[in-house]
Amino acid sequence: MNAPFFKYGLFGDDVSLVIAFIIGIGFGFFLERAGFGSSKKLAAQFYFTDLTVFKVMFTGIITAMVGVYYLSVIGFVDLSLVYLTPTFLLPQIVGGLILGVGFVVGGYCPGTSCVAASTGRIDGMVYLLGVIFGIFVFGEAFPLVSSFYETTPMGQITLPQIAGLPYGLLVFLVVLMALGGFAGAEWVEKKMAAKKARA
Amino acid sequence: MKNYLKNLSLNKKLALFVFILGFMALFAGSPYKGTQLKVDASELAMIVQKEVDHVASEELAGWIVQGKPDYRLIDLRDEKDFTEYHIPTAENITMTSLDASQLSRNEKIVFYSDGGIHSAQAWFLLKANGYKGVYILRGGLEEWKYSILFPRLADNASPAEAAAFEKTKLLSTFFGGTPQVGGATETDYPKMALPKLESPTGAQPKAAAGKKKKEGC
Repeated sequence: MNAPFFKYGLFGDDVSLVIAFIIGIGFGFFLERAGFGSSKKLAAQFYFTDLTVFKVMFTGIITAMVGVYYLSVIGFVDLSLVYLTPTFLLPQIVGGLILGVGFVVGGYCPGTSCVAASTGRIDGMVYLLGVIFGIFVFGEAFPLVSSFYETTPMGQITLPQIAGLPYGLLVFLVVLMALGGFAGAEWVEKKMAAKKARA
Repeated sequence: MKNYLKNLSLNKKLALFVFILGFMALFAGSPYKGTQLKVDASELAMIVQKEVDHVASEELAGWIVQGKPDYRLIDLRDEKDFTEYHIPTAENITMTSLDASQLSRNEKIVFYSDGGIHSAQAWFLLKANGYKGVYILRGGLEEWKYSILFPRLADNASPAEAAAFEKTKLLSTFFGGTPQVGGATETDYPKMALPKLESPTGAQPKAAAGKKKKEGC
């Protein structure tokens, strides 16, 4: 048996939608359990008082990375068939900044606003309406930004390709980076808590 | 040592675990190597022998007339030849761009080229890469011209052959061809003008890249 299952034709379009729904529910559930239904907790990361978001997301990233890496090494996953979002450097930097500003101002990212809305938070629902309105505006304004949208294309690239390093070495480096990040985050949190206690 | 491990918090145990996995990754090599496929030569030979990988011109013509959506027809010739004439609904992917093309392993793919050689080579390339439903148009475009565009009824045809020809004639006109009756030898068919690409009027060609799936988050 080989993965990705969809690409190998184990199921069709309709079943893939059902599976996406189940995975989506699971994703939302764990976001909520991590406390991401609260905009206060989410915004706290920008003031370095609570870095849970950073820790949860980086945990997710290295878990997926190590999992995909080893499943590919043993031949279970055909990594060449896994879809990668193509990189458009400049537009994606600009998009990231816009998302970041929205995150600080509104207290949610798109995914967590769904979580907040589904747990009954009114700010989450308003945020979600804003997301939908933003999608609509972007869609309508697309002809105006479409030329910028496709500038600096870099294709489907990965870190090992850019760095020219062996894949395994990069996995190790990212793991080190994550562990260092976790330790650093805990240190910063303690420091900020002490500062708060003094104030 | 045992006690030391026991006293670690769960977070630290997990961190240690992922560190060990990360360290092992240094020596585990490329993740792409595990997916290299072995070519089962005897299985491929069997497929070739039994010709189950062939699609006849008439069969393909039938699929196009019915508008069957479950396969992709790939023209392997260069762009110039493709714009001059191609079988309706075909997409143009040249041999050199085959590797980077957007064909998936779970699609039914039918190749054709002028004769049969290029499509056979493309067939092998994809088969060796683990593609499952790869087919070749038997005889390529040459055969398509003979049997679909310019079919010929011999002077001394039997009544059964003549009856069958009536059906072929319908197919031929559908694809903008000109059925020939009797007389001239087959050698003069290349002089006949290939149908304009607007025809057949009845067919609904799929958009060339229309089937690409949207992916990502």
